[in-house]
Amino acid sequence: MEKSPNDKGDLRYIIGSEKSLRDIISERDLMPLLKMAAGAGECVVKISDASGGIICEYGGPADKRETGMQRPLYIEGEPAGGIVLLGEDGTDSRLEKIADLLYDSITFLMDSNLKRMLTTEIHTTVLNQSYEELLETNRKLEISRKEYRELAENLELKVQERTLELKQALARLLQQEKMASIGQLAAGVAHEVNNPLGFVYSNLATLKRYADKFIEMLEFYRSAFKRQEFTREEIKTEQRKWEALKLDYVLSDVHDLIGQSLDGAERVRRIVADLKGFSHIDDVTVTVVDINAEIDRTLKVIAHEIPDTAEIYRNYNQLPGCCCNPALLCQVFLNIILNALQARREGLKLVISTKYVNGFIEITFADNGPGIPDTVINRIFEPFFTTKEVGSGIGMGLTVIHDIISSLKGAIDVESSPGKGATFKVLIPSGGGCNE
Amino acid sequence: MIEYDEIESRMVLKLVYYGPALSGKTTNLLNLHEQLEKKGRGDLMVLDTRDDRTIFFDLLPFYIVSPGGLKIKLKVFTVPGQVKHDATRKAVLQRADGVAFIADSQVAEATNNSQSFENLESNLAIVGLDIDTIPLVIQFNKRDLDNIIPGPEVERIWKPTGIPFFYASALEGWGVLETFKSLLELTYTHIDRRYGLDERYGLDMETFIQKLTKIYEPGQAG
Repeated sequence: MEKSPNDKGDLRYIIGSEKSLRDIISERDLMPLLKMAAGAGECVVKISDASGGIICEYGGPADKRETGMQRPLYIEGEPAGGIVLLGEDGTDSRLEKIADLLYDSITFLMDSNLKRMLTTEIHTTVLNQSYEELLETNRKLEISRKEYRELAENLELKVQERTLELKQALARLLQQEKMASIGQLAAGVAHEVNNPLGFVYSNLATLKRYADKFIEMLEFYRSAFKRQEFTREEIKTEQRKWEALKLDYVLSDVHDLIGQSLDGAERVRRIVADLKGFSHIDDVTVTVVDINAEIDRTLKVIAHEIPDTAEIYRNYNQLPGCCCNPALLCQVFLNIILNALQARREGLKLVISTKYVNGFIEITFADNGPGIPDTVINRIFEPFFTTKEVGSGIGMGLTVIHDIISSLKGAIDVESSPGKGATFKVLIPSGGGCNE
Repeated sequence: MIEYDEIESRMVLKLVYYGPALSGKTTNLLNLHEQLEKKGRGDLMVLDTRDDRTIFFDLLPFYIVSPGGLKIKLKVFTVPGQVKHDATRKAVLQRADGVAFIADSQVAEATNNSQSFENLESNLAIVGLDIDTIPLVIQFNKRDLDNIIPGPEVERIWKPTGIPFFYASALEGWGVLETFKSLLELTYTHIDRRYGLDERYGLDMETFIQKLTKIYEPGQAG
């Protein structure tokens, strides 16, 4: 069997290839028939192929026989050889019958042999072909399986890479959001600091002028003092000078100026202290935190953001200590309070309550803002979700809160009905040592 | 792809009757077997069948000798039409010198016809033959039945292709010989061009066809 149908060098038929008599019928097939025929006809029987060669022969010495009888054999209509019977004179009619019988038997045998051979050929060809096709299919499957496996392996790697990228991007965004609220805070603080600094500066300028006056007056006194006496003229001059320099006023004002300046400096110092406390620059790690104090710190640091018309009520209860990084907590409080301030500026009423419940510190911030619509309330902690106008926020504020509270193993929940304000409830696990 | 032995002056040609299941390929061969002269021809060999369905193939062999002494063996095969025997169809189709596509004229068989024709086209390509160049005729068989595709419809579709087509009822015995003759004609033309049958062996088309389609007359010496 050949494999390639395009192999032009090979002229063999795959199915039904040409066969000679010897291919189809063997000596072993023929011999029993020949024996019977030779016995019955007392003759010599020979089977020859297409070119006259003897395939097999049976019977006593042929040279004594004189009468011959022949029958050609055909394969697929083509002469393929023949039967020869040689008998004694006068046995023609018997030989003829035997020749017919032998012809029929051999033809039948050839037909059934040929049929069996063709069936075997086609069967083998189809089997081989199917086997080749199966091998080919198998080979292709193996290749694609390999490809898929590689793809799957790479995919995992790719997913890991992308996950890491996303994590880093999210971390950057959260950091950005923190910076944004700190930036907002800083702007307010700058304003707060600038005010007292302004008048301290202007007071210092005035004080410099006052100092010049004091110096001029003092130098006058000093020269007179060296001579131990004032002339009449000098006494008049002193009077004029004192009046010209408005020293009566200056002396009465200088204490106010210094007092005011000290006040201003004190305000700046306090603001800086608040900010420092709020940002917990010095507290690098986890410590025991008084939550009430942290809320106060936060309110202090954004005091300037709170309009006069806003009312903030503190409904504090005695709380156990809470073990965490205070800077993170302040960030949470800051974001929630700023959120409330953004929701309603004028006439805001914000009630901040704290209490201890079953191992948790519960902090609620209830405002009287417009509330959160039902359609979005489930999404407010999602990254980038915002109802604010484009450009006024990236929608990460509440995500940052959620993130921080999750890291503290706490929980945050919001209740709101439109028109009735929103209540954020934060739960932080209390107590425990700070040994973890 | 002809098997040709110049030294032995011998040529073997292979024609294949292709088509959907039950379209009458075997019946075509049976009919040729009945109608044609038995001399110079082998018996129709019907390999094992199951429920009268061809599972391997049938083979009707012819043997002629040209005036110039060229011995030609012509083997006409059928393929099994059932879809599942595609491997066998491919095996039989290898090295075919001509194809008769036997279509079932019944309207309900239109889809099977076209699927089988597509199958012929792709299998020819697989065994390295080209449907555009191989001698090909089409027979619309079973014209004796009702609910058959009307002639004008067949002509509308097949006339533009240039492929010769014939109407037949293999069961009633008409159209079969015309199909066979047409396929012989195309095949002769195809090989004469390459092997010079007429020029070298004195075998013109008429003689070729006449020798292969001599009608059997009972009583003649066989």
